[in-house]
Amino acid sequence: MSENVSVTFVDGDGKQTSRKVGRGSTFIDAAQDLNLDIAATCGGRGRCRSCRIKVLKGILPPPTIMDQVQLGPDEVHEGFRLSCQTKVIADCTVLVAPPIAEGGHKILGAGVSEDTQFHLDSGIEKKLVAANTPKDENHQTSDMEMILVALGEPVNGDVPIEVLRKAPDVIRAKGGSLTVTTFNHRVIDVEPGDTTRHKYGMAFDIGTTSIVGSLVDLETGEQLASVGGVNPQAVFGGDLMSRIAYAQFNPQALRKLRSRVLAEINGYVKEVCGNNNISAGHIYKMVIVGNTCMHHIFLGIDPTYVGLAPYAPTVREPVVVTAKEALLKVNPNARICFLPIVAGFVGADTVAAVLATRIHESDHIRVMVDIGTNGEVVMGTRGRLMACSAPAGPALEGAQIHHGMRGAVGAIEKVEIDGDVTCETIGGAPAVGICGSGLVDAAAKMLEAKVINPSGLLRRDGGEGLPEKIKARIVEGDNGWHFVLTWAKDTGKDEDIYLTQQDIRQLQLAKGAIYSGILMLQKVMGVADGDIEELMLAGGFGNYISTESSVAIRLLPNLPLEKIAYVGNAAALGAQMALLSETERRRATTLAREIEHVALATNPDFQEIFVKAVVFGDETKRKSRTRTRTKVG
Amino acid sequence: MSEPRLKIPEGWEERAPEGWEWSELWEAVEVGKHIFTDEFVRKAIDTGINPRTILDDGLFPGFNLQGDRFTEQIIFIPEMLITARAMKAGLALIRPLLAAQAEKPIGVFVMGTVLGDMHDIGQSIVAIMLENAGFQLTNLGTDVHPDKFIETIKELKADLVGFSALLSTTVYYQKVTIDEIEKAGLRDNVKILIGGAPTTQDWADEIGADGWGRDAVQAVKQAKRLIAEPRTAWA
Ligand code: B12
Repeated sequence: MSENVSVTFVDGDGKQTSRKVGRGSTFIDAAQDLNLDIAATCGGRGRCRSCRIKVLKGILPPPTIMDQVQLGPDEVHEGFRLSCQTKVIADCTVLVAPPIAEGGHKILGAGVSEDTQFHLDSGIEKKLVAANTPKDENHQTSDMEMILVALGEPVNGDVPIEVLRKAPDVIRAKGGSLTVTTFNHRVIDVEPGDTTRHKYGMAFDIGTTSIVGSLVDLETGEQLASVGGVNPQAVFGGDLMSRIAYAQFNPQALRKLRSRVLAEINGYVKEVCGNNNISAGHIYKMVIVGNTCMHHIFLGIDPTYVGLAPYAPTVREPVVVTAKEALLKVNPNARICFLPIVAGFVGADTVAAVLATRIHESDHIRVMVDIGTNGEVVMGTRGRLMACSAPAGPALEGAQIHHGMRGAVGAIEKVEIDGDVTCETIGGAPAVGICGSGLVDAAAKMLEAKVINPSGLLRRDGGEGLPEKIKARIVEGDNGWHFVLTWAKDTGKDEDIYLTQQDIRQLQLAKGAIYSGILMLQKVMGVADGDIEELMLAGGFGNYISTESSVAIRLLPNLPLEKIAYVGNAAALGAQMALLSETERRRATTLAREIEHVALATNPDFQEIFVKAVVFGDETKRKSRTRTRTKVG
Repeated sequence: MSEPRLKIPEGWEERAPEGWEWSELWEAVEVGKHIFTDEFVRKAIDTGINPRTILDDGLFPGFNLQGDRFTEQIIFIPEMLITARAMKAGLALIRPLLAAQAEKPIGVFVMGTVLGDMHDIGQSIVAIMLENAGFQLTNLGTDVHPDKFIETIKELKADLVGFSALLSTTVYYQKVTIDEIEKAGLRDNVKILIGGAPTTQDWADEIGADGWGRDAVQAVKQAKRLIAEPRTAWA
């Protein structure tokens, strides 16, 4: 792109430097041209956050996946970006290396008291000991016995073979000075000399579409790096069900899916070890969460029956295996801990999100909603928790929508209707399509402007009573009636961008699935809207939709907006908590057992609830649309 | 596209008693007042109106209007379902009377969602439309095992069978069920129609189904086409 735009950099002292740069160059390149120093510790590969900037003025460029991974949803929301990844798309002012609130391991959501903060007890202990080698042939002993005597505390279970193989050298290498590593009092490693400072763990959230993970120092709790990217299984089926269908009754396909995800995780391990100068052998614990299907595939368990009624998982209890069993290239006896599962479509990711949001500790009803292709709803308080799956389908990701697209540059994400229609796009670029948040916003505004009615009907009566400019946008085209959001001349693709009646119907199904999940749990638990203290939006999509519009179209219940909060990737956070604390990991097990699963399909009230949930309001009136013949005589 | 209109049955006055008026029933079915529909149909039966006439002149106009609107996307699932409920209330009263008059259905249709799948909203709309079209319909519900299909097909000497599937994982059971019907030696006795959001004409061809319906209206069209095609008669 040849067009030039102006960027102004502001440094910590308030000094400003500006220059014109070509649209599309990265911020870090622009800064380097100005001889401004932006530290890029990872070499500008989006693998750390040293080069972060904050956009102060001008259009916020769309976040890249690495922005999301490194900075997290809250920071991204506030305008933080990685300068090595983000491209200049319009005039703007940015702050260099702004202070970032080190979120650390804050627990999400409201009503959390200090004493619910968790303690560091990862279960991994490293102890430097001085062991004597066996000296006297008459005194029956062994290398390992001498090491355990030196350790001086009782240990559980057998010593793994890898440790035995190392023991003869280790005990003799540094005059008996050696470090013993245990996990919950089981010996998992011995090393010569003092390595007690090196004690690391990783947490992963493996989603159908993307994977995010982090490397954490188990001694200090500090997050050393975060990693992430697209789930490489996606080539074998974008959505969850097609992924299962691919592996259905086909062990070879299952192996393929499994090796893809393993290679990806092993790649991340290598990457974080290299970047942080640590040895993979010093990673002793991993916590992995994901939906039931991802969980099963990772473990090489056939997910076929997860995809068929009654959608039962093979295992729900927490699974703990060694790295060597899991085929992960960290310490071979590292413990790979999978959090427990609630049901076929309420997986370990949901359990982790509950852990992080502390719903189980609140005195008032709180609700967590993960808005996604296969969404979930959890509702409850201390003492009672219920969950269900809410299968919205991909409409909110822009799929099955005529001009739909994912949230990328040029996607309409905000719509205003006031005499005429104004759209805001991601990155401020000319519109090329509409993303999920735009779709929700558009529907809300169309509803308000009476372009559609609460039943979802796009007006086809000539738009009587509407402003002229709005009227002109209701058009009958090849795909039936549609409403033009952006006229061709203002778009980036030479054709009108519009929503069809069919698009509105798809949105209704999608939002109806989510809302009916919420309504069903409300019904089963006897919870009125007024009883809900907080509704938390978790997961990637939740961060971008307007809460006001979501309420207006009843994707969410009619709550005061201040009761609705974004909590970002709560699942990843929950995984980290379980990594750092065995207490938390145990809590996840109790939680999973306590969460009652409500199966919508078999509930006799479902249809009635769904019918209420697909409309854009609380009540539909039954009214004849045409006047049938008036009574004769 | 033209707006669907209420099609008033021609000459209905001649088939109704003096001063009789259907318009309230048309509207009741249209807006889905099932209790009113039930009462009105009872009244019509008590008055001695021919059940066939009640169906054609009284119940169909309102239903067909909504069916057309559903196809045109003017109304959506909620409206369609309440109309279907009202229609069912009427049909429940009329069906036994038609049978007593020895009126033959245009075909025996067995419908169900295949094994592993619990989705039935679309399927139930298809079912009511087929029933209106004159098929004697048996709906086996959801998560139906191939054996159950086979058993019912045999028992009812079905002419047509329809499989709905909404999941990428369960469309496979449309194929399995067809294979099982083949193995049971019934393939030439029944025509097979499939549907559901992830299905396509190509998929129908691939698994050897006789027809595919994109939506409920297509389902009826296909069913009518297939019923006219030759099949091995039931022994
Ligand atoms: C409503 C719904 C449900 C309801 C079903 C209630 C019920 N009794 O049917 C509930 C909430 C229970 C449900 C559950 C599940 N669902 Co669901 N559900 C949907 C949803 C939102 C709408 C489906 C629907 O009713 N459409 C409306 C009807 C009218 O359309 P239709 O069925 O296609 O029918 C028309 C035509 O296809 C045709 N037709 C239909 N059948 C037949 C048959 C014949 C013979 C013919 C000729 C024609 C025909 O005519 C109909 C009328 O025009 C879709 C998402 C979406 N946005 O579409 C997901 C969806 C179908 N579900 C999905 C999934 C995965 C599930 C679950 C298995 C898992 C989950 N994530 O929760 C669970 C089951 C687990 C459990 N324990 O319950 C997926 C399937 C994905 C895939 N590629 O396979 C979808 C697409 C959502 C997604 N995640 O992407 N679901």
